[in-house]
Amino acid sequence: MATRVILVEDDSDDRDLFVTFFSDRKDVMLLPAVTNGLELIEYLQNVKSDSDLPHLIVLDQNMPMMNGKQTLQFLKNNARFSRIPAVIYSTYTDTNLVIECKNLGASMVASKPIDDAGYQKMMDDFLQLV
Amino acid sequence: MITRSYEELLAEVEMLRMKLDEANDTLDAIRNGQVDAFVVNSDNGHSVYTLKSADHAYRVFIEQMAEGAVSLNPEGLIIYSNSQFARMLQRPLSSILGRMFSDFVLTGSGDDFGTLIANGWNDNVKAEVELLSGDDVIPAQLSLNVVHLEDEKTLSVIVTDLTSRKEVERQLKMKNEKLEELNNALINSNHDLQQFASVASHDLQEPVRKIQVFSKFLKDRSFGDLSDAAQQYVEKIIASSNRMKVLITDILTYSRLSAPESALELVDMTELFREILEDFDLRISEKGAEVRLNELCVVEGHKGQLRQVFHNLVSNALKFTASSRTPTLTIEKKDVDAKELGLSLDNDANYCRISVRDNGIGFDERFSSSIFSLFEKLNPKSTYEGSGIGLAIAKKIIDKHHGVIIAKSVLTQGSEFSVILPFKQPRAE
Repeated sequence: MATRVILVEDDSDDRDLFVTFFSDRKDVMLLPAVTNGLELIEYLQNVKSDSDLPHLIVLDQNMPMMNGKQTLQFLKNNARFSRIPAVIYSTYTDTNLVIECKNLGASMVASKPIDDAGYQKMMDDFLQLV
Repeated sequence: MITRSYEELLAEVEMLRMKLDEANDTLDAIRNGQVDAFVVNSDNGHSVYTLKSADHAYRVFIEQMAEGAVSLNPEGLIIYSNSQFARMLQRPLSSILGRMFSDFVLTGSGDDFGTLIANGWNDNVKAEVELLSGDDVIPAQLSLNVVHLEDEKTLSVIVTDLTSRKEVERQLKMKNEKLEELNNALINSNHDLQQFASVASHDLQEPVRKIQVFSKFLKDRSFGDLSDAAQQYVEKIIASSNRMKVLITDILTYSRLSAPESALELVDMTELFREILEDFDLRISEKGAEVRLNELCVVEGHKGQLRQVFHNLVSNALKFTASSRTPTLTIEKKDVDAKELGLSLDNDANYCRISVRDNGIGFDERFSSSIFSLFEKLNPKSTYEGSGIGLAIAKKIIDKHHGVIIAKSVLTQGSEFSVILPFKQPRAE
């Protein structure tokens, strides 16, 4: 069964890249992407049955309204959503960001890849978490 | 016409005789040194007469002092004043003698003057007051001491004009404030600069990554459709964006060096080099380089930063290799000889010198100090990739560790970088 993945990303190019690189993968089922943390929460709260929740949440860090870290904080303090693995992926990942995100409960912190191989490798790593 | 009677004249003679006796008594007392000064009441107030007697030498001494000197009788009347005190008050001496000292004190200045004088009669007292000097007011310090003269007591007052001291204090305070202001401005601008570098680098990374992604896209998916020239352009875009990425990362590293850091620790440099060389395993085998690592030393420092320094030096050594020979890289401990290196160190024995030597292309020694400047590059970028920041980072870190980094080279023969680090870092107070 394909893993349901939801991307939370404000940059439309980056949302398109997800579709471009992952729509062919049999093991991944991309849910329609949302553009910030607030939209994600709204989306999740509208899912009636737990069995329809995503298996994996991929969060961009730098987003308007509610960024990756803030979203992470909300998710990990919510009884219903806290067990869904959430990862942060960002253009710039320094040690501080990695430590902060891990402390907030991120399952993984990744740098945004720049080519197909990088994207496939990143998704392989993500799927290990589910 | 003379109308006075004989009796009247007799009474007058008697009175004059009494005055004469009184004057003779006074003269005796003066001769015996019992009297310092006398106050004569008149219609214009008190007049005081002082003496040039046995203590003449002290009076001369007191006259020459830069401080005001005043004696008060128990009522607070000025029975003696040197001329310096008169100058302080910008008044003739004659208008000071016989007046109450309190007349010249600005009321409400300092402690209550009455209490002060009362205390002065019991104990030595120092206090600051403001004195009326002509139309001005001057700050002054009073030192009160009781002087016993046989059964007479006087209060001697030394008056120090604080105007110039206050002025110096004021200027000092002003300069201090200005210095503090400048310092704050500097801290702010430093902070701003760091913020700017950090934000700029972060935000620059986004578009650069996009350029990398989409130019690669173009190459991977549509390369065949492009003309030879267009293919070359795409390659150039990819190469440039990769270089840009390195540049931004390095600027970010450089700007972060100003941020507060981790604690100091003892760093085993041999161990550190083993780790660094491991990172370069692939490059070393690609280049077929021979690396020799000798036993080094243990120094106090920030491990992550020191790793960065030697990572950069090793990276350079493996980058600027001469294609005509097998690259060699030697890392060893050397004697610190400050004189030979042209340095001034407190004590050679407190330092460890680590030498990183290669047989690469080297550089012109004329540039041996400018290579540590930001963005300084000695080699054409087409041949050797790099941001020109690596050595600037190394120098900044070594500076912060109170050490020195020196580059020596013979063009086409090889380079040697010497890093001289103190074993112990000075403690901040």
